[in-house]
Amino acid sequence: MNIYDIVFYLFAAITLASAFVVVTARNIIYSAFSLLFTFFGIAGLYVLLGADFIAVVQLMVYVGGILVLILFGVMLTNKITSVQIKTGTLQVIPAILGTALMAGVLIKIFTGTNWHSQMAQYPTKTTAYALGHILLTDYVLIFELLGILLLIALIGAATIARKEEKAS
Amino acid sequence: MIEQYIPIFLVIGVSVVFSMAVIASSKLFGPQRPDSEKLSTYESGMKPVGGVRERISIKYYLVAMLFIVFDIEVIFVYPWGVEFKKLLGEQGISALVPMIIFLVVLELGYLYVYKKGGLKWD
Amino acid sequence: MEFNTIYNNLFYLVPEIAVSAFLLLVVLADLILGNNKKLLPYLSIAGMLVAGFCVMNQMTFSGAVFSPSGQSKSFGMVTVDSFGAFFKLLVVISTILVVFFSFSSEEIKKSTRRQGEYYTLILGMVLGMFLMISATDLILIYLSLELMSLSSYVLTGFTKLKDRNSEAALKYLIYGAVSSGLMLFGISIVYGLTGSTNLYVINTLLQSPQINMLALGIAGILIFAGIGYKISAAPFHFWTPDVYEGAPITITAFLSVASKAAGFALLARFIKVTFVSSVAPSGHWLLIPVFPWKELLIVISILTMTLGNFTALWQTNLKRMLAYSSIAHAGYLLLSVAVLSNQGLVAMLVYFAIYAFMNLGAFFIVMIIANKIGSEDLEDYKGLGYSMPFLGVTFGMFLVSLTGLPPSAGFIGKLYLFIALVDANMITVAVIALLNTVVALYYYIRVLKEMFLSKPTGEPVSLRLSPLSLILILVMLAPVVIFGVYFTPVVEFAKSCITILGM
Repeated sequence: MNIYDIVFYLFAAITLASAFVVVTARNIIYSAFSLLFTFFGIAGLYVLLGADFIAVVQLMVYVGGILVLILFGVMLTNKITSVQIKTGTLQVIPAILGTALMAGVLIKIFTGTNWHSQMAQYPTKTTAYALGHILLTDYVLIFELLGILLLIALIGAATIARKEEKAS
Repeated sequence: MIEQYIPIFLVIGVSVVFSMAVIASSKLFGPQRPDSEKLSTYESGMKPVGGVRERISIKYYLVAMLFIVFDIEVIFVYPWGVEFKKLLGEQGISALVPMIIFLVVLELGYLYVYKKGGLKWD
Repeated sequence: MEFNTIYNNLFYLVPEIAVSAFLLLVVLADLILGNNKKLLPYLSIAGMLVAGFCVMNQMTFSGAVFSPSGQSKSFGMVTVDSFGAFFKLLVVISTILVVFFSFSSEEIKKSTRRQGEYYTLILGMVLGMFLMISATDLILIYLSLELMSLSSYVLTGFTKLKDRNSEAALKYLIYGAVSSGLMLFGISIVYGLTGSTNLYVINTLLQSPQINMLALGIAGILIFAGIGYKISAAPFHFWTPDVYEGAPITITAFLSVASKAAGFALLARFIKVTFVSSVAPSGHWLLIPVFPWKELLIVISILTMTLGNFTALWQTNLKRMLAYSSIAHAGYLLLSVAVLSNQGLVAMLVYFAIYAFMNLGAFFIVMIIANKIGSEDLEDYKGLGYSMPFLGVTFGMFLVSLTGLPPSAGFIGKLYLFIALVDANMITVAVIALLNTVVALYYYIRVLKEMFLSKPTGEPVSLRLSPLSLILILVMLAPVVIFGVYFTPVVEFAKSCITILGM
């Protein structure tokens, strides 16, 4: 067991344990907070895979943006209308059976499959260069489409958040 | 190599240990004589008024969502920025074109939000 | 990839570029014009006409562009061929009709201030559909699917005047997020197996025997979940009735025709390009024996049509009934994919060409009546056949066509489907589909019974159709009537449009 393995198991443990809390916590605020550690652990896994830029993006967008939005959403809407937003458990046995089956199949797949892999050097400098290059050449169509997707997302958000005028 | 990340681990480790140590030591060694004044909500010397959970305008979410959208935009600009010199050498000035289109599309979105009053807080 | 190649490739993407340009124009016009929103729908229609013209020009094109560097030229990200052109034309036509619907929709008129957003989002959906129809790269497939979904979530909750509206949008969003997550997981497994996201490359790799069947099977099911959600196939259809009922009728009509068409085009192209090794001279596709698409599709399509038809029997809200009917139609259409042959494709194209008009027509008439009487409940349709004879009769014709009775055009669509099924020796399936049609007859005819054989409750309503509505109804009625008798041109056109680039 070398240092990579230890770090990997550390981050995997953080991710799994906090994800477990996200699902099982009774109070939705606890769920939202432990989501922070899930995102953080995943960022660590990205680093181990040599995807440092993705890891930074994970921290910036998910932890810095989306999680904060979720947290404020939860904290600001919780209890305003005397409705307690809490999680509950129902249909335990069917759910366990379903997830066990799914987990079994997935474990079988991930251990039994001859994945397409090739030896690669762990990147010595940041992957942002390679990403920038590929984004502006091979995947330039995807890149421009993303611009339009973001525009649509922005307009959609503004449309939904805007107050509806009274019908005259 | 993973050795590159040792400083980051150090920072994380130090910040976790330090913050825990400070809180724990004040709990352990500080004198604790609570009274009702001390236990009340600290609001920079002002008397706290009203409930904590007030209904916040949906505009807050709009601003937060705008933040995420432009956050993602910046993330796409960064790799382009670091690679730009090389692209400029390879393709000449046309290396600018995709990014200009991308930015124009998103600035149109910014203009839209600005004109429609999405950034106004009233 | 050189920049010059990119610019040459753009030549194939002219329709998509036109749609994007008009999308940006609509946003800009909305900002510049201020409170004068009259121009925006015309601008969108102009955009659609330009895009339609560009698609017509591309009818004879075929080629795959935007191939990643290091790959063969023919392994592109976007594929332009006559199959795609057919579906793009279908999308263009239904978009134009839906924009015209919006002129006379009371629901849309009420939100005057947000007209710009409405048309922007519709164009956003069109762009997503165009790319879905042509995409041959998993990343592009996912992204275009998201572009379309994102716009349609917002459009579903557009009017905000009724609670049902927001509820529908939220349900749609949550279902959509789950299914696109599943799809992304499937895509990641495929990438892990093959190391590529390009469908052509994946196809060549699948032909080698080392691929793990179980992993690929799960990935196939997961990706199908993403597409199946868009076409509302059986286990993924639960959102359909609620969303169709809650959304503004114009959007319901658009979702039931255009986004379904794009989903089917994507499904057919995905299977053909990825899983087919060659096409036999008889027109049957030879599947690479890695995933049982035929069996899966047959089971799902039978489930879908049976569920759709039988649940439609109990519906008392017309929008909901039409939602279940569109689920049932998705079942028939899935059969045309399940045949896995060129005949199946012809059947699918013919069916869609007719389905678009009859379904849009039915929704349009429901909308006009809802504008007048403010309800879509079957209860309130009692005796409407007498107070609004023209609408009653035309609605009847659309419904008869949806059932698939001769001499309507719907019959021709089903006829070609059954021919393709019998041709592929799928007699049992054909019989089940036929029995389903009999069930469908009941609930379509029940509407007619209420309209013509029941006594009107309350005072009779009279309705003066605006000239525009009259013209629209006639425009949609004409194909439904004419194709039923004189169907050679549409079939010939469909036969000329079955080229899917691939193995």
